[in-house]
Amino acid sequence: MHEEDRLDLELHRRLGSGDRAAFEDLYRRYAPPAYALALRVTGQDALAQEVVHDSFLALWRTPEAYDAARGPFRTFFLSLVHHRAVDAVRREERLRKRAERASNLEPRTGEDVADEIVEDAYLVERRREIREALQTLPPDQRRVVELAYFGGYTQARIAEELGIPVGTVKTRTLAAMRKLRRALYRED
Amino acid sequence: MVNGEHERIEELLAGYALLALSGEDAIEADRLLSEHVPSCPMCRDTLAGFQSVAGELALAPSPVAPPELMLPRLRRQLEHVSGRRRRATLVAAAAGVIALVTLSGLSMSLASRASKAEHAKVQLSDFVGTLQQPGASSVSLTSMDRSSPGMVEVSGPGFERMYIVGRDVPEPAPGHAYQLWLGSGGTFVPVGDMFLPEDGLVYIRLTFDPRPYDEILITEEAIGSRMSAPSRDGHVWHASLTGAA
Repeated sequence: MHEEDRLDLELHRRLGSGDRAAFEDLYRRYAPPAYALALRVTGQDALAQEVVHDSFLALWRTPEAYDAARGPFRTFFLSLVHHRAVDAVRREERLRKRAERASNLEPRTGEDVADEIVEDAYLVERRREIREALQTLPPDQRRVVELAYFGGYTQARIAEELGIPVGTVKTRTLAAMRKLRRALYRED
Repeated sequence: MVNGEHERIEELLAGYALLALSGEDAIEADRLLSEHVPSCPMCRDTLAGFQSVAGELALAPSPVAPPELMLPRLRRQLEHVSGRRRRATLVAAAAGVIALVTLSGLSMSLASRASKAEHAKVQLSDFVGTLQQPGASSVSLTSMDRSSPGMVEVSGPGFERMYIVGRDVPEPAPGHAYQLWLGSGGTFVPVGDMFLPEDGLVYIRLTFDPRPYDEILITEEAIGSRMSAPSRDGHVWHASLTGAA
């Protein structure tokens, strides 16, 4: 287990006993990536704020929802944020102007304030690995993963959007997820 | 199960991990997750791997500082939440459920899993209507180990209906689901199908007369197990129906 994951575990343990300092430490560590993710998925500041706010509140209310046996706290919490962001964006589907949303991994102009954020080196390095893994995917596979994960699109919607059969979306998704898994976890 | 079928299941699990399934695929994935995956090591491993990948993808966007006011706002709400944390009262829990059901449009019933906002609205209206009826009584189902938020049961003489609602209900362990039990004189019988919280919400409506029973239990049971008595492993909620106010 990486040292940063250990620190998360300790902060999470303290959260269980209502330790607010631990909550604030977790907020400082994960609010920036959580907000970036929520912004990316929802494309709306107000919705992204609601998602991140509610996710941290849910963490405070039910810290026991995280089970360390299922993986690092980081992936648990950011998955929670992702889930809420996708739910939110699907609620807001009719109001959303998809055309205005970012279509690649680069942040919109003025959005990237990474220079002002002090992140753990581990997170920076992991981000680099994840981006590299995404970039190694064939473009058609990367596209379906990005539309699903960062766009909150269903596979049926992706098929419509790209003008391809749903079966092709499923095949590309599976191929992409297998490759990402191998790349991120160094599996053979 | 042959390899071709596993390939199809893997496709569903990949879409599931990305939250990209809808319609029949989503229903099929739910079925697989409750009937096949828990007993298939290969599928469990695949699902865990894909969910880890999905969790890692979250880091891909460059971090963005949230608005400065978010943390002070959260601090204020922690004050409020701390006072009632792990102490569900009818007003707090029911109001919370009402708000969440309204917002999410998601609900859970023993009979069927429903995700349509219209259905949730009808259920919510039914629940609120019952709460307002003269003679309505409620009891809090308390988490036995005090580690989980409580749930609330609402029923009343002559209603022949019982509601159980909960929010922030934790997911059961993999391969497990929750089961409602009704007890009389220390003997419990399982009631209805097993269920899972949806986004932490539980909404159960039962049509029967609860008067013969004096206790309610909700326990965490292995899916597919032959239940003869409530399990005390995992999450357990309990309430006495005698003297409900």
